[in-house]
Amino acid sequence: MTEVVIKNVIKRYGENQAVQGINLEIKDGEFAVLVGPSGCGKSTTLRMIAGLESVTEGDISIGGRRVNDLPPRERNISMVFQNYALYPHMTVRENLGFSLKIAKLEEQKIAEAVNHAAEILGLDELMDRRPAELSGGQRQRVAMGRAIVREPDVFLFDEPLSNLDAKLRTQMRVEIKKLHQHVGNTIIYVTHDQVEAMTLADRIVLMKDGYIVQVGTPLDLFNQPVNTFVATFIGSPPMNLVNAVVQGENAIVLEDGSHLPIPSSAKNRVEDGQKVLLGFRADHLMPKGHAISEEGPTGEFELPINLSEPLGAESILYTEIAGQEVQAKMLNPRPVVSGEVLKFELQLDKCHLFDSETTEAIRS
Amino acid sequence: MRHALNLAWQVINVDHNNSHRNRSYVLKGAYLFALFVVMSIICIPGLWIVLNSFRPAVEIMAKPPIWTPSFTLDHYRALFGGAGEGGVPVLSYFRNSIIVSVVSTVIAVLIGMSGGYAFARYRFKGKTGYFVGLMLFRAVPGVALSLPLFIVLSRVGMIDTHIGLIFVYVAMNVPFTIWLTDGFFRQIPKELHEAAEIDGCTRWQAFWQVEFPVARSGVASAAIFAFLTSWNEFALASQLTRSVDSKTMPVGLLDFTAEFTINWGGMCALAVLMIIPALVLTFLVQKHLIAGLTFGGVKG
Amino acid sequence: MANRLPSWLLLLLPAILVIAAVVLIPLIFSLYSSFTAYKLTRPDTLWQWIGTLNYEKILTDTKFWTAFARTIFFITIVLNLELLLGLGIALLVNKVTWGQRGLRTLLMFPMMFSPILVGFQFKFMFNDNIGLVNNVLQSTGISDAALPWLVDAKLAMFSIMVAEIWMSTSVFAILILAGLFAIPRDPLEAAAVDGCTPFQSFKHITLPFLMPFIWIAMTIRSLDVARAYDIVQIMTGGGPANRTELLWTLMSRTGYVDARMGLANAMGYVSIFLSIIFTIYFFRKLSASRAQLGMAGN
Repeated sequence: MTEVVIKNVIKRYGENQAVQGINLEIKDGEFAVLVGPSGCGKSTTLRMIAGLESVTEGDISIGGRRVNDLPPRERNISMVFQNYALYPHMTVRENLGFSLKIAKLEEQKIAEAVNHAAEILGLDELMDRRPAELSGGQRQRVAMGRAIVREPDVFLFDEPLSNLDAKLRTQMRVEIKKLHQHVGNTIIYVTHDQVEAMTLADRIVLMKDGYIVQVGTPLDLFNQPVNTFVATFIGSPPMNLVNAVVQGENAIVLEDGSHLPIPSSAKNRVEDGQKVLLGFRADHLMPKGHAISEEGPTGEFELPINLSEPLGAESILYTEIAGQEVQAKMLNPRPVVSGEVLKFELQLDKCHLFDSETTEAIRS
Repeated sequence: MRHALNLAWQVINVDHNNSHRNRSYVLKGAYLFALFVVMSIICIPGLWIVLNSFRPAVEIMAKPPIWTPSFTLDHYRALFGGAGEGGVPVLSYFRNSIIVSVVSTVIAVLIGMSGGYAFARYRFKGKTGYFVGLMLFRAVPGVALSLPLFIVLSRVGMIDTHIGLIFVYVAMNVPFTIWLTDGFFRQIPKELHEAAEIDGCTRWQAFWQVEFPVARSGVASAAIFAFLTSWNEFALASQLTRSVDSKTMPVGLLDFTAEFTINWGGMCALAVLMIIPALVLTFLVQKHLIAGLTFGGVKG
Repeated sequence: MANRLPSWLLLLLPAILVIAAVVLIPLIFSLYSSFTAYKLTRPDTLWQWIGTLNYEKILTDTKFWTAFARTIFFITIVLNLELLLGLGIALLVNKVTWGQRGLRTLLMFPMMFSPILVGFQFKFMFNDNIGLVNNVLQSTGISDAALPWLVDAKLAMFSIMVAEIWMSTSVFAILILAGLFAIPRDPLEAAAVDGCTPFQSFKHITLPFLMPFIWIAMTIRSLDVARAYDIVQIMTGGGPANRTELLWTLMSRTGYVDARMGLANAMGYVSIFLSIIFTIYFFRKLSASRAQLGMAGN
């Protein structure tokens, strides 16, 4: 059993509280991703799990064992570092086998494990090279190989892909996901990139300023964000937010006076006059004739195009509603001219309402 | 049953956590203690000398030893007044040391700087050869060199003169000064003086206006190191000087010790006089010295 | 004329001239005179060529070999102890987070004293009558009699070594400290995760990184090792009765006291070779260790 339990953990550096009392339970075999803007405490949390930082208050347990005071070597974890942390004076083979050598395994067993890891990651040709002779992607794979060779209880990844170029990053993402399917151990992965979080995670832990904001599956966070922070962090392009005021029991009024019915998720949960934010994704605001055909109520707008970003299969259109800039998508796109006015449809069922003051989602 | 096992597991684990925590506390204490011991060992000999320079001779010689010190400036007074402590012309020695050290430092730094610049900025055939040769000359032990130098200098009539000693010290200091300044000049990007030349400077002007100011602190540490080497040098000075005219303080200290093994207080005072410039200068230079000594560190 | 010579030569010329005059020429002269029967008291003996007689005399002289052996013994023990102690001190100081700069400065003091001064300090402390060491030993009752630190053969060697080690351990400590500072932190963390105890991390990760710095320190020290001459001269003068005679004091005595310059210069050359061999050896090791770490040359 290799679940990881974090209970009321606080991390203080002098006056500064980097992690403010978080609680988290990561299940056995789960791929959990800690994601958030820089300074949110995700790396600190990971390092506390690893034993590279001390825990100021609270408890961390791995596999039912409290590990607060145990040094890293007694926690049966392995870690892939952001800068790979390869041993520069050892060959790839020696790097991979180092931990097993320390554990005093027989040479033959070490060679077996090392070759097995090398095979999985395609390192067979590089075994006798030194890190200085490898490219970024190759070093990354050696770092991963070093981690899997030991077959630990938990794998920790600390922003492993940040130093790679975009193309390599997408490739390695797939490798990591395949690795998890292959090996099946618990993985805790830290990144600031929400795309990585969405594509890799079984569950995402979104953090901000030392707190956990929301925990859930990628689709949970995408479809049911608990507040505007989650809504705008997850998903690309980020969710549009437009100011509005509740009118009566069934409608909201935008700043330019236009009326819209209240999204069904928020019915009966608002008061007349309440200041709210209407949230909708670019995927749900599309020009007529260039949309996914769906049923359900729609709101119609005539909007000018300020800017367009053609991506090939779709274009991102920059436009505005009630004076606020929003982004929309266009499927089967045709070239658009700046200033052109198009008829847009907004799918009301997919809209969210957030309270302007608390920024929390209004939902049943 | 399972519950009991679980509890047992927790208990064992708490012990494990505790033992690690205790161990780290004990280790921390041990570190601090060891550090304290080391620093004391470094400071005690020097402090002991300074302390004793302020104790009256009677007390120093007392048997059984007196542990509560009393204070007197007698030794220092004797040192600076008249013919010096017990007839030892301390002030003359001091004067000689200052003259020789300062002059040789200035010359050595100028020569060293120009040599260092040559190595840092130019490529030429046999460069490594020159460099290695320069360094190897430093490997010659002072005392071995003093033998032929003594003969040569006495033929030329430069024994017991300031000039003779200065000349020798310059040669002694040049290799290391070149080495240090080479390191410092290398750290200054070439583009700086190229930009200055584009702006209208000659090579000479570019150097003094742009490169030298940036390397100033490095040159200062090279100067301080050269000064200290000359200030502290004994092996060559002991043979190349004969009289009060040119004897430096290290030689003076030995003479003093040989003649007057009884006047410990006076000798301690003399020793203090020697230490003070060294300590002050060390404080100023410590950071750069390390940078210069590590051959540009491991980054090559 | 200045326009004909390349700039670099012009800049380097003063240095070359000075060193040629003060070092090269005397060295050549020294070499020449080592093949003569030159005595200071009879200057015309300078022209009396005796071939390798001086060298033969040295190589068959027990006094020489004793001094030589003692010197090698001295250097070996002192360098190794300084390395170990310097390493230990560097590791200790490295752990301190606050006030490290002050500690480093403190660490440099012994290096900055004149060796004569260092010798004097310890001569004072080891004095059998009024020295601090004996006073403490006797007051605390550890020893009754006054120990003859500077007279007894073994104790005197010990005292000299203590003085030399006190003076030069700092060189190692400071250079190794600079090395520790330069070690990247990541591989050390990876080693901790990979299962290393602090000792294992040190052995497999820290130490390989430190090797270049250790060799640098050794190279520098071997350039300077003859400074021990100053210490011995003031503490024991090579005696009493030649019990602490090292190569350098023997040389000095032969040349200046006995006035047998030719012979002394021959010894001088032996000591020069000794220094150079040590230096070159350590420099080679330095280059090798840097290559090992995968770094470009100087």
